[in-house]
Amino acid sequence: MAQYTLKPDTSFTRELQEAGGENLKRCYQCATCAVACPFAPANAPYPRKEMVWASWGLKDKLMRDADLWLCHNCGNCSDLCPRGARPADTMAAARNMIYKELTEPSIVGKWMSKASGLPFLFFIPAVLWLVVWAIRASYKGHWFPRAADGRIVFGEIFYGDYTIDPIFMITFFGACFILYRGVRKLWSMFKPEGELLVIGPKKSWLCHLVAVLMDEVVTHRKFDDCEDGPITGKGAANRKFGHMVLVYSFAILAFVTAVVAAGHWGGKIIPAIEIHTPMPLTFPVKILANIGALLMLCGLAALTWRRLAQDRANHASGFYDWYLLSIIWLVAVTGILSQCFRLTDALKPAFVTYYFHLVFVWMLFAYLPWSKLGHFVYRTAALVYVRMYGRS
Amino acid sequence: MAEKIGVYFDMQNIGGGLDAEALAAQTREKWGELVSVVRVCPVLACSVEEIKADISAQGLDGVLLCGASPRAETDVYRLPAQVEFVNLREQCALSYKNPDGSLPDFSGGAPETLAIMARDYVNMGVVKLQKSQVPDSVAISGIRRILVIGGGIAGLTAATEAAATGYEVVLVEKSGQLGGAAVNIPVSSPLGPHWTDKQSVDLNAKISAVTSNAKIAVHLNTQMETLSGQPGEFKATISTPQGPVGVDVGAVILATGWKALDDKYLAPMGLGKLSQVMSAAEFGKMLLAGNVSARRIAFVLDTTLAEDVAREAVEGAADEAASEPETPATEGGAEKFVKEDLESIRHLAYSNAVNSVGMLRLANSVCEQTNDATQAFVLYKNMTVPGILERFYKKMQDRLGIMMTKADVTAIREAGGHLVVECKNTLLGMDFDLDVDLVVLPTGMVPTTAKDAVVRFDYRQGPDFPDLRLFDGFADSNYICFPYETRRTGVYAAGCVRQPMTMDACEEDARGAVLKAMQCIESASHGVAVHPRSGDASYPVFNFVRCTQCKRCTEECPFGALDDDEKGTPKPNPARCRRCGTCFGACPERVISFANYNIDQIGSMIREVAVPKDFKKEGPRILILACENDAYPALDMAGLRGRAWNPFVRIIPVRCLGSVNAIWVSDAMSKGFDGVMLLGCKYGDDYQCHFVKGSEICAKRKENIAETLNRLGVQPERVDQLEVAIDEYDKVPDLIDGFVDRIMDMGPNPFKGM
Repeated sequence: MAQYTLKPDTSFTRELQEAGGENLKRCYQCATCAVACPFAPANAPYPRKEMVWASWGLKDKLMRDADLWLCHNCGNCSDLCPRGARPADTMAAARNMIYKELTEPSIVGKWMSKASGLPFLFFIPAVLWLVVWAIRASYKGHWFPRAADGRIVFGEIFYGDYTIDPIFMITFFGACFILYRGVRKLWSMFKPEGELLVIGPKKSWLCHLVAVLMDEVVTHRKFDDCEDGPITGKGAANRKFGHMVLVYSFAILAFVTAVVAAGHWGGKIIPAIEIHTPMPLTFPVKILANIGALLMLCGLAALTWRRLAQDRANHASGFYDWYLLSIIWLVAVTGILSQCFRLTDALKPAFVTYYFHLVFVWMLFAYLPWSKLGHFVYRTAALVYVRMYGRS
Repeated sequence: MAEKIGVYFDMQNIGGGLDAEALAAQTREKWGELVSVVRVCPVLACSVEEIKADISAQGLDGVLLCGASPRAETDVYRLPAQVEFVNLREQCALSYKNPDGSLPDFSGGAPETLAIMARDYVNMGVVKLQKSQVPDSVAISGIRRILVIGGGIAGLTAATEAAATGYEVVLVEKSGQLGGAAVNIPVSSPLGPHWTDKQSVDLNAKISAVTSNAKIAVHLNTQMETLSGQPGEFKATISTPQGPVGVDVGAVILATGWKALDDKYLAPMGLGKLSQVMSAAEFGKMLLAGNVSARRIAFVLDTTLAEDVAREAVEGAADEAASEPETPATEGGAEKFVKEDLESIRHLAYSNAVNSVGMLRLANSVCEQTNDATQAFVLYKNMTVPGILERFYKKMQDRLGIMMTKADVTAIREAGGHLVVECKNTLLGMDFDLDVDLVVLPTGMVPTTAKDAVVRFDYRQGPDFPDLRLFDGFADSNYICFPYETRRTGVYAAGCVRQPMTMDACEEDARGAVLKAMQCIESASHGVAVHPRSGDASYPVFNFVRCTQCKRCTEECPFGALDDDEKGTPKPNPARCRRCGTCFGACPERVISFANYNIDQIGSMIREVAVPKDFKKEGPRILILACENDAYPALDMAGLRGRAWNPFVRIIPVRCLGSVNAIWVSDAMSKGFDGVMLLGCKYGDDYQCHFVKGSEICAKRKENIAETLNRLGVQPERVDQLEVAIDEYDKVPDLIDGFVDRIMDMGPNPFKGM
């Protein structure tokens, strides 16, 4: 009787190994990991099955697996794995493969998958902002101009209305569009062959989205569940604190950006709400922005420390992990430094730092769909999906 | 006969409020001159010098030590006289409970029942010594030459190791070249640390180490013709191309290895039918020659398909045999030896561990050669990797091209130029088909002893090892602790003839067997047993005057120690003997005895127990004959752990239940005992008997005893055999109490008081 014919793909296994799952072949299917995982559902728990799919190079199975996103990468499974197969890293590697393969154009995914692609990634915004700088400098007649009142104003070179705002809006909405397509593709991949029947009351995906954001972002409740997993006997720095602080700082900075944008563009219609940049240090929005920046540093420090302190035998940090941490570090540091240089009236360092700040911010947002930060969207989408179909 | 006995009481080890002084006085009074010294020592272990002084001053020829179990501290008492122990600690005071089952109160001294029991045991000890002698020596010179049969990896290792220890070696190889199965395996699974990588076998170096060694004589194209005599002085006749040659050797190492299972057994999986299906051995040769071009290879360890077909065939044959009339027995019934062919599909399952390791090695090699362009699927039912080879497994598993899963392989079929392997119940959570270019099947390892009587013993019990069917032809004898032992003393099996094993294990096995062979020759030259009663100098002595030549002893000896002449008179070979006493248990005329263990001795001990006439008031008496290898230690452990049993039983250790002679039961019954319990080890397929057959033989004899008892009007249920394993100390008190309860229900022995 003919049945499903398996098509193992060794090159996929090799790619997974390179993307962080280097020890995945060591798994001997004892399922300690599936027992250790505080989230794994009783029915077809993970990551045991993902490990054998990975070992057999079953790309189809693994890429279509919604369970990849249920995992919050606490690492309990890796700590308890008797073979040092690092299931947590393998799950992360599989997610990295999704960042790489799901999103078009895939060339970016290739650059993003290893350090050798970094120059390309850096080159694009570096040139972009240098061109902007050059054009404005030729218009102003000076590479490092001061404002009329002698202050350092970045807008003299990187003028909001014509440079920063349009470029970032295109970037932002472009990324949103790419992510939207990615999410659609992900959902269609999750869908099993045939019909899915949901028994019981159904809620709209919006209700599920709100619930997911409550759990994952607002309260970070899921992280508590991770920490409450089985005792592994291994010391692990608290992940919830760093992640939560970082997410909150992002939220604050997003809010600040929105307020400033609303003030700037809205001010053109309703002068009463107009906000001029640079804002004075005592301005409430500025205070909030600086609080956000400091929180970001705290969160980054906590998460970086955690990665550095991890047990190397059971956990590895790959290019995807370090890229994301580094780019946020660079954004935060260049942002804060450019403000400091501006306030201390160091003209040239201020502009140079600000230029780099723009380069890194662009990298952070433009490459978001292919970077580990994509988990913000893909995981949310996957969690909404599984909630809609009752696997959670 | 011990005629001057010293009795020593060990105060430190006699608990239960027993009055040692009173026991001593009783002993002195009862035995008079026989016990020329009776002492009560505060700590016996500190009085060893004192005892030695008594021995030389008083000329004692027997020493009776009353205190701890003989198993407790025997080593302390190495004395120049016969030594016996009376177990007043574990099996008397510590295991005592009142007849009504209540806990005893020792504050007012020992209860009367306990004192009576202690007195019985001391008296039994005295009479045991009285009836015991120092055996005469049967030491022989012991030829320091070892015969190694088989020139494979195990044989070569054995020869080298034995020669390195100073022994001469005669190596006999059936074929025209040395190396055996290793000739086709130049690179094997790991042979040593770090146990992670396959390793070159370096066979040529091993062969030249043997051929260049002056102590080793190699005979190629040579087989065994006969082996006669006994350990230390075997006479082997080997049939060399130049004709038969006689060799005198001290011990034999059997390393004749294995033959591949017939391809027909794997035909249901396509072997011999589909060109892309081959055995592991064949694939190995192809890989060596560099002829493997397949890029998708299934290594199938699950052979259920073939096993099912074989089972159906066996069942079908059984039905057929049942419907057809039996073929008449061959005429004349001449006792011509016909070797039963023991090759079967089961050898495939036994070889699973070797095949698991072997297939991992082959899969790894082919992946390595193609830089993982090959996909090697390992489909197993049981991935069995012995011992430290787990490290090898880990390394192999890490190989990119190797994919493993547990799977039921339900079909292997051809489809358009390639093969399809159907898998069910896999670890991948689904049933699937695999398209492959090649299927590699395991090789069944059939021991040479399953096909041939390799050693060709010139023994009364025949040229082959007995009961090989039990082990599907493997030259094993189920000794967990003594792996190389066969059922023929002085012949030690090593390598795959004993059990399918990887090459590193063969080498280790060979070394172990060499150690046993040397121990055997040394023991023979000291006239002592080699195993399992190592160092025992006693041996069976025959009083031929009364022998009726009934042949029971020669037939029942589990080790074929006794030959006989044309008339049937037994011919003992002490060096073959393991001193179990099965022969004297069998002898209806009671003509066989050991100097320190015999029918009269145990009979006298039984008669020495004071059996009261009043069953109701003074309780029954029940005799336990306990196997000293399993039951006796279990009883000791029960006592040490505070488990008590009925105080009306009296325990006598026996070397083996096989040595229990029916006369002892009659002795007990006529003495007035109400029941006899035979407490021995488990028997059957997974027997635990140190002497292989003891408890099984005893169970058979018990049926005859039951018949006799029935005739005498005694309920046969009064005699029962119960099985206990050495670790079942927690169950043995309940076994005893249950038996006593049954006896109580039956009432007193009708012979009591007669």
